[in-house]
Amino acid sequence: MAAGLLGFIDILRTHHLRISPAESLDAVRAAELLGYANRERLRDGLCTTLAKTADERTTFLRCFDQYFRRELGDFSQTSDEREQQPPNAGGAPGGLSAGSGADVPEALAQAARQDPRIDQLLQSSLMQALLRNDRNLLSLNISQASERAGLQQIRIFTQKGQYSRRILAALGEEQLRAGIVALERSESPALDDLRRYRDILREQVRDFIDGQYLVHAHGRNQQLIEDMLSRTRLSNIEAAYVERAQELVRRMAKKLAARYAPRRRDHRRGQLDMRKTLSRGAAHDGLMFDLRWRRVRRERPQVFAICDVSGSVAPYAKFLLLFLYCLQEVLPRVRSFVFANRLGEVTNLFREYPVEQAIELANHTYGGATDYGAAFQDFANLALDDVRSSATVIILGDARNNHGEPRLDLLQKIYRRANRVIWLNPESRNSWKTGDSEMLRYLSACHFSAECNNLRQLERVIEQVLKNAR
Amino acid sequence: MRIEDYPQLGDVERIAAGFEEIGYICSESIATAVFLAFQLRKPILVEGPPGVGKTELAKTTAELLQAPLIRLQCYEGLDEGKALYEWKYSKQLLYTQVLKEKLGDLLHGAYDLAESVERLHQFGDIFYSEEFLEPRPLLRAMRQERGAVLLIDEVDKSDYEFEALLLEILSDYQVSIPEIGTVSAQSTPMVFLTSNNTRDLSDALKRRCLHLYIPFPSVELEERIVRSRVPEIDERLRRQLVAFVHGLRELDLKKHPAISETIDWARSLLLLHAEQLDEALVRATLNLLLKFEDDIQMTDAEVGRLLHGTGGD
Repeated sequence: MAAGLLGFIDILRTHHLRISPAESLDAVRAAELLGYANRERLRDGLCTTLAKTADERTTFLRCFDQYFRRELGDFSQTSDEREQQPPNAGGAPGGLSAGSGADVPEALAQAARQDPRIDQLLQSSLMQALLRNDRNLLSLNISQASERAGLQQIRIFTQKGQYSRRILAALGEEQLRAGIVALERSESPALDDLRRYRDILREQVRDFIDGQYLVHAHGRNQQLIEDMLSRTRLSNIEAAYVERAQELVRRMAKKLAARYAPRRRDHRRGQLDMRKTLSRGAAHDGLMFDLRWRRVRRERPQVFAICDVSGSVAPYAKFLLLFLYCLQEVLPRVRSFVFANRLGEVTNLFREYPVEQAIELANHTYGGATDYGAAFQDFANLALDDVRSSATVIILGDARNNHGEPRLDLLQKIYRRANRVIWLNPESRNSWKTGDSEMLRYLSACHFSAECNNLRQLERVIEQVLKNAR
Repeated sequence: MRIEDYPQLGDVERIAAGFEEIGYICSESIATAVFLAFQLRKPILVEGPPGVGKTELAKTTAELLQAPLIRLQCYEGLDEGKALYEWKYSKQLLYTQVLKEKLGDLLHGAYDLAESVERLHQFGDIFYSEEFLEPRPLLRAMRQERGAVLLIDEVDKSDYEFEALLLEILSDYQVSIPEIGTVSAQSTPMVFLTSNNTRDLSDALKRRCLHLYIPFPSVELEERIVRSRVPEIDERLRRQLVAFVHGLRELDLKKHPAISETIDWARSLLLLHAEQLDEALVRATLNLLLKFEDDIQMTDAEVGRLLHGTGGD
């Protein structure tokens, strides 16, 4: 059973739970202590050892239900249903009490008395499990057989049939089939009974594989998709995948936030704190050997995000803003501005609405044909005075100004005031000097510029911001 | 703590029953977590909305075990001097002064400097010794002979540095004091950490703990809690008020009423001799349940609907 548990942990890992070997050991010991009989208790216990946040807890509970659905005998209900509506093969006369207790149906018992092979078959642990309707034993058998058959390797759904055959073989279904053949030959009345057991077995195996497929293949396919998403051009991400990409952004942000978590205190960096030192010294005869220092107050990083939301760049802006707002723990003071032909501050939108909705609203209000000159003018009016020497200004846009006045002087003003001006351009570097792009001119007033068109690049740039903002 | 010394924690049912006797009604997942923590000798990190009985859990466990409860309230700026140990500086100073006076006697008859130093080395160096050590909660918990329940309350309020300090204690139940060496726990204490999630705790800390999330209780559980805490209250009223509180928790409020507020409310309804909930009564006592003006205003409009759902008028 420990092997099953380790398999489960493997699956949790594919669902982004970070589980260390030490925690796996805890889980195994917890399972030993709690036993497998009480499913709820086992779930609660494993949950305390494996899931360490609220999110992980939800994931855990979902996976647990999928994975241990079969293994822990929680299918008494399905078995009841089955008994109420006997399968087609079981059209035999009533009174067959296959489901209740260990008693062998009369016809089968008789067949066993006549044929030693049938008797032997009935003694096998597989048949015993089926006869007694002992679903714990049966599911244990199935899960062991599936391990031998390597079911964990299942990747695509067309493999289901193949695995089903392998598992049935590992379970010793052959013997059961031989028994049926023998009964057919002797035209025994027990034939229908035995067939019915075979069908139950097959059904169980099929259900088990379906569940395992969901659990094993799903997680891995998920990882593949995410890997792909993080490399796809943001404007090419299909609507159906946007949600998942946003989820991915959230996770990336979380990772970065953990890495660049603010250090709240800076020791012994400031001046000597005379008052505290004196009062400390009072206890020691006025000797001031215990020096106290004033703490340095650090300014929180200030970030201005200026995003072009005209048609071609809008999808990128969405992701950049989403990313920044997911980092609120580390960057609590993000002010965001969006522009196309006019620029406006949208910080409040983000305060009032959930991130996705705010982005849509911002898009809606300020979309149009791009005019960088006017946008910089608006920014200067709105916020230039607030840009302090510690500020980071991130500009996202393609710098295509429709041959308008670029107003480089305004960008230079920002450049002189801020700590860093970062320009993110979704176009590739090669096209920066083509057509109506003012990129090269703007570059002269940026500390740093980067091509930024997929999530991976975005993550890298934001990490830069965090490094410098601290 | 030796497992065999505490049969109260022998299995999950016994824990739940033991808690109930003391008046702490808990869900099975809580009892399971306590059981595992005890058996695996691991700390429990308890999270959940405020007022669901996180701190109470530690207190109750201490009561059940009849072990001392040692509590460390965390805050920003908490450091090892307040949490772990401190030297008794003034006594150390006095000691050096005493030593200075005695020095002449001790070194009397020493032939030269080398011999004096030799003699000095012969006395035990007690300047940094246990005698001058002032144990703070964490070290005190390590030193309890029959074990203790250590409650590290609101660990999310402390600094990252402090979290790192906890790691050694939580994984090995020992404390390293540079001047003395490593102090191991006489008997493993049972450790509870509580967090309100004002910030994410580090992975390293989480890895060392079992994680228990206490949600708001189910209707059935909360009724049992109210019955245990306010036994005088009429059954019908109890049912109504718990249903009403559950209705409130469905609303989008700044702060949802917690168990402690349900209990307070039940007590005050009892004082008011209320027999059942009606709109006027609820409006008059709503400030016991809700702590923000916005929430009260928002709920005010919903009172009728919520009451209707409780089977009142």
